[in-house]
Amino acid sequence: MVSPVRTIEDAVWNALAAVRDPEIPAVSVVDMGMVRDVTVEGTAVSVVMLPTFTGCPAVPIIKSDVAAAVSMVDGVTGVRVEITFTPPWTTDRITDQGREKLREFGLAPPTGEGPVLITDIGLPEVAECPFCGSHNTHNENAFGPTPCRAIYYCDACRQPFEQFKPV
Amino acid sequence: MSEALASLLTALADDELILGHRHSEWTGFAPHIEEDVAFSSIAQDEIGHAAALYSLLAQRSGGDADGLALGRDAAAYRHAVLCERPNRDWAYTLARHWVYDTADAIRLEALHDTADEDLRALVTKMSREERYHLIHADAWIERVAAGPVEGRMKLEDGLKEAFEEALGLFEPIEHEEKAVHEGYLPLPSSELARRFRELAANKLDELGVQTEIYSRSDEAAEFVASSSGDLIASGDEHAESQPERARGLGGRAGHHSDEFQDLWDVMTSTYRNNPGATW
Repeated sequence: MVSPVRTIEDAVWNALAAVRDPEIPAVSVVDMGMVRDVTVEGTAVSVVMLPTFTGCPAVPIIKSDVAAAVSMVDGVTGVRVEITFTPPWTTDRITDQGREKLREFGLAPPTGEGPVLITDIGLPEVAECPFCGSHNTHNENAFGPTPCRAIYYCDACRQPFEQFKPV
Repeated sequence: MSEALASLLTALADDELILGHRHSEWTGFAPHIEEDVAFSSIAQDEIGHAAALYSLLAQRSGGDADGLALGRDAAAYRHAVLCERPNRDWAYTLARHWVYDTADAIRLEALHDTADEDLRALVTKMSREERYHLIHADAWIERVAAGPVEGRMKLEDGLKEAFEEALGLFEPIEHEEKAVHEGYLPLPSSELARRFRELAANKLDELGVQTEIYSRSDEAAEFVASSSGDLIASGDEHAESQPERARGLGGRAGHHSDEFQDLWDVMTSTYRNNPGATW
């Protein structure tokens, strides 16, 4: 038999899976691996979150969206959302499902562990084009419109695209 | 909280905020669209790092991050003078960017062993982002150094300026001895300065770039207090005869240039005009 606490915890995770990243609405905070812990004590829920990038301006929005979503769960009377850098969020935390959703959204998923795919001229190597799947691409800019994105160009389908930057 | 830890967090955060502010001034004005994006993004990272450091300080000592970032008098800031210098031209911007991020990498590497657990976690996170800044700066320095003579000469001029003031990044922080003794600053600033000089000199040697660094490279990177109580570089030839601080020094003690006053006026104007506003 499933205990009541377990039921609330499951319901909380379900609610979190519906909280979208405001800058990349295709993925949830769970897909992005931003939820470190969910703790339920009685009817009080504590959620510990890891920001993707230190300076990500979406963090306060995500924090309040998470608090709002969890407070809607049946049986929950109190929510506490904490932001921490322990452990540091890395792109390895993005789930397989999250990677697939990023691709469908038109954002190439990060490759490798950390910024490892760096050529000696200082730019990340090719990324897989999310539109046509080609690797005939090149980096245009290690920085992009948000702290987490780099800009590439696909020489096969002639589309600019962005990659979620490996960190 | 420990006054030494507060001093360290303030110096780190102020460096990031003020240089981040200067970088942000390229938004809409950089000579190349991709660099407009790059400097805007780097600025956002640096200011984000500052915000996280101020938040940590605020958690421990009370107050709030915005108040620490924007609610202090200009003389209360502890960043190095190098960070507040106007962007001038593209060459100086690149030179300072490279000098700062090379120095910052050395500092962050040392801080991986800091005694404060929260700072350690934040430093680990920041380092992964800062790597991109250094890659960007390295790529530009290498490109310009290998390019036409005019650009190379401008870069050398910029590097000369930036190097002269780089020592200000490694000026002892307030309560330096305590910060080292308590383990918040795992290596003294003089040792960080030595590492910076060595790394920077080797890199520029490889590129064949001439700067003043060579004439200063054998100086002991130590500071002494002058009779006025200001910190001056012990190797500075005017140190004894002149009460003036060596160029680029004094920031860690709150001595800034008029250029910082101009920056401060702009940076804090919204905060000062709308006290307590929420965003």
